[in-house]
Formats: sequence, C-alpha cells, structure tokens
Amino acid sequence: MRRVLVPVTLVTLFIVAIQLSVFSGLRFAGVVVMIVWLWPLAMGLAGLTVLSLWCALVAGVFFDTHASTPFGLTAVVALLLAYGASRLGREGVGDLDSAAWWVTPLLAAAAGFVAPALFVGASFFTFNFSLWRDSLFAAMVVNAIAFFVLARPMARLARWVGNLGGSRR
Amino acid sequence: MAVVATILVLYLTTGVASGLRGGANIVITPFSWAVNTIARPIGHMLAGTVNYSDVVAQNEKLRYQLGRAQERANEGWSYFRQLQQITTELEVPFVGSLSTVAAQVTTLSPTNFSATVGISKGRNSGILVGMPVVANGGLVGRVIATTTNGATVRLITDTASSVGVTLKTGRATLIVSGRGLNNGLGATAVPLGTSIGPGTKLSTDGLNGALYPAGLPVASVKTVSLTPGAATYNLTLQPAANLRDLSYLDVVIWEPAA
Repeated sequence: MRRVLVPVTLVTLFIVAIQLSVFSGLRFAGVVVMIVWLWPLAMGLAGLTVLSLWCALVAGVFFDTHASTPFGLTAVVALLLAYGASRLGREGVGDLDSAAWWVTPLLAAAAGFVAPALFVGASFFTFNFSLWRDSLFAAMVVNAIAFFVLARPMARLARWVGNLGGSRR
Repeated sequence: MAVVATILVLYLTTGVASGLRGGANIVITPFSWAVNTIARPIGHMLAGTVNYSDVVAQNEKLRYQLGRAQERANEGWSYFRQLQQITTELEVPFVGSLSTVAAQVTTLSPTNFSATVGISKGRNSGILVGMPVVANGGLVGRVIATTTNGATVRLITDTASSVGVTLKTGRATLIVSGRGLNNGLGATAVPLGTSIGPGTKLSTDGLNGALYPAGLPVASVKTVSLTPGAATYNLTLQPAANLRDLSYLDVVIWEPAA
C-alpha cells in the first residue's frame, strides 16, 4: 500500500494540473468538465477503496486551492463519489473485464450528473446559497456526457496505477 | 462523518484556507508547468491550424479599432483635463484620476460555480484585496485574493458579486448582481418610475462605503421586463467590458473606505 501511494499521489497531482491547465480552459457549452471528480471515481470503480479516498482528498484539496468557491467543497464531493464508487467496485460492478462495456461509462455518467448537484447541495452547509444560479443543469449534463466518454480510459489508468504497488484493494 | 466534513469546511472557509491555498499552490506549480509545457504548444498548433483566417481578420479589426481609439484619446484629452479639475475641486473620487497596474490574465475560473480569473501581478506590485479591476471598456470585477506575484479577480458576473450603479443621468441608483459566467448581469426590483430602457448605460455610483470608485462603466440595459406580481422592473444587462475575451486588464489602485 505504501509503495503505491507515491505514484498514485503523483498521478493525482498531474490530474489536477491537467484539470487546471487544460480542462478548465476547454469549456463545453460554457461548462468545465471536472476530471478531478472522475479520477477518484475511476479508482473507486477499480475496487481500490483507500486509494480512491486518498485520490479524492488530494485532488479535491489541491483543486480547491485554485478555486474561489468555499474551500473543501470539491474534496467533499470527490470523497462522496469515491466512497460510493468503491462500494460498487468491491462488488465487481463496473469492472472493466467482467462487466458489459457500457456499465463503467454509465455509472460514471450518473456520477457526473449528480456531482454538480452534490456540490451545490454541500455549499448550503457553508452558508453559500448562490451557487445554484450558475448553469447547474448544464454542468450536470455536460459532466455526465464527458464522464461517459472518459470513464473507460480513466478506469484503465486507475487500474494500472493501482497495480503498481503489486497488490489490489 | 457528514458533521465532521461540515465542520471542516466551515473551519477552512474562515481564514486558515488562505494559508493552505498558498502552500498547495507551491506544490501544484511544477505539475502545472509540466502539463502546460506539453499541452500549450499542441493547443496553439491546433488552434492556429483551424482558426488562422479568423486570427488575420481579428488582427485587421484590432488595428482599425486601435486607430479609432487613439483618435478618440487625442480628442478626449482636453475633456479629461476639465473633468479631472472638477472632480478634484468637488473631492469626488473618479477613476480617471487614479493610477492603475496593468496585469496579464493567467488563468480562467477553474470551476463551474465561480466566475474568476487569475492575474500575473500581486502584492509585490501594490495590488491588494478589494481593488477594482477594469478592462475592455468597463468594470471587470474586484480582487478577492492575492499572493506575492499573483491575484484572483472575482468577475462582476459571479453569482456572489453585486455592484452599486447609477444611471447615466445620475438620478437613480440600483444594485446590479452577477448571474454566473454564462448568464451575464441583472437587476431586480427597479422602481417603475425609473426612466430606463434598452441601451441605457450604468456606471458605478461611488456612494459612501461603495466597493468601487464612481464613474466606472458597468453595463448597458439589454431588456426591461415587469416583475410578475410586483410593480417593479427586472433588468437584463450586458456588461460594458467583454468578459469572455480577457487577456490584459488594469487593477485600479483604490481601496474601499473602511
């Protein structure tokens, strides 16, 4: 576990950098695709519970340092997604080899649809009641589509990185 | 767990976060640099291949606009001198008499839920939290966070942003609120007696305790509609500055009164 923590952290930091440098400027219908949420989700679907939670925390916290939204919100949403996905991943749901090809993308799309709403919902706990006004539905739809498309390559990357330490789960 | 997460978020939003942000920025910078080094040339190559004719057309248009702007600047110089004299005599802060710091836009808002930009100048250049930012012919926003060599500017279209404005006639004041990066600006509960219509220009009011000095162009009215069930207007506004195409901007060296 300790051996794999270093490459997982490094890849996560690269994912955050790609999010900030590429995806945040590449808006679809004015919406940013949040790969910092997809990455821990993919880790979770690969059945790597602890690593997915770690990825969620690192990706969320580092992303939040660059956003002016309440600090920690992205991390909280990422943690929720990672935990939910890892529960499914442990049951083998969304496994790239055994499940049908569309299962992983569909689960990711559902998560991509729910994640922006979770973010806005979580923002109410920080007494911030204005976030829902800014294209929430567009963010949900675009992220669902993007997560559907990117889910399989991201899941392959997650499985590869997770296996670097030599053990799964 | 939810309670702990909530407490953690609340804790981190009340000040400790700024220190953490600075530290985490230092960690992520080498990774961002590596990604930029790889991604930028590829992006530029693709964009250049697809949009070359657009770039040429845009360049010609910009040259024409620059020429016109220079012409107007020459004409406006005498008016500016007069205005400066009057505002000085009346002790009214006016942006024309304030100094500015030019900065380059380095990052766009990384998230769907805030309209912000990162700029290339920070505390070392005298930029402080609360200073107004102008560009492309109008108010852009205000500085909400600074580092030694960078700052974050909250755009006026951010849902957390509101600006006190006055009509061109100076007779009425309104509060203009951001509706998100993709939705522009709006004002609600505008009294029916207000003389306002499409095209009416709005600028900062500079009232006592205002967040912005007087006279900064903010927006023009796009549509006027009656508020359902109330005797007031709702306004849809077009920002005076082109917020979608920000490359350089000016930070006005002015702080709101304490």
